Amino acid sequence: MIPIEYWLIFSSLLFVVGAYGVLTRKNAIVVLMSIEVMLNAANINLVTFSSYHTALHGTNDASGQVFTLFSIAIAAAEVAVGLAILLSVYRRYQTIDVDKINILRW
Amino acid sequence: MNGSIVRGLAVLAMALLFIGAIMSVDWPSGDIDQTTNERVGQTLFGVSSDSGYGVVVLLIGLLLLVAIMGGIFLAKEEAE
Repeated sequence: MIPIEYWLIFSSLLFVVGAYGVLTRKNAIVVLMSIEVMLNAANINLVTFSSYHTALHGTNDASGQVFTLFSIAIAAAEVAVGLAILLSVYRRYQTIDVDKINILRW
Repeated sequence: MNGSIVRGLAVLAMALLFIGAIMSVDWPSGDIDQTTNERVGQTLFGVSSDSGYGVVVLLIGLLLLVAIMGGIFLAKEEAE
């Protein structure tokens, strides 16, 4: 049995790695991948706390795991639209550097 | 370059904050490996006709369809 602290620390580190990628990288695809890593950290937390709740209270409720499935599906939809937007941006500006795509800034 | 170091340090501070907060809690011991796939399936689709998340699964499928259609529309090459 792995204690809950290990899972929480693992998901925290995963989140931090994703946040570092979002904050430092300029390539929009890498930023999108980093956002996915952060989302997966949240998913690990959902599964961990759902299992922990089951272990503590004996309710045998798997809602956290089910919500994780929904979260993964929504992440897939997000990636589909995000990649399409990046493709469209590259066609127009010949770059996906997030520092150079400033059309939405004001 | 300097900004990258500052961001790295900020992220490191965030990691230490997370780990410190987690370790400061006295978690009651519990075996977290008990949930089975069968239980996940029962929660997802329900054990009777009026329980579970079957409608949500259908809506998620619709969302994925709309997302992929939107993606195709956005990525489509414009006519010359």
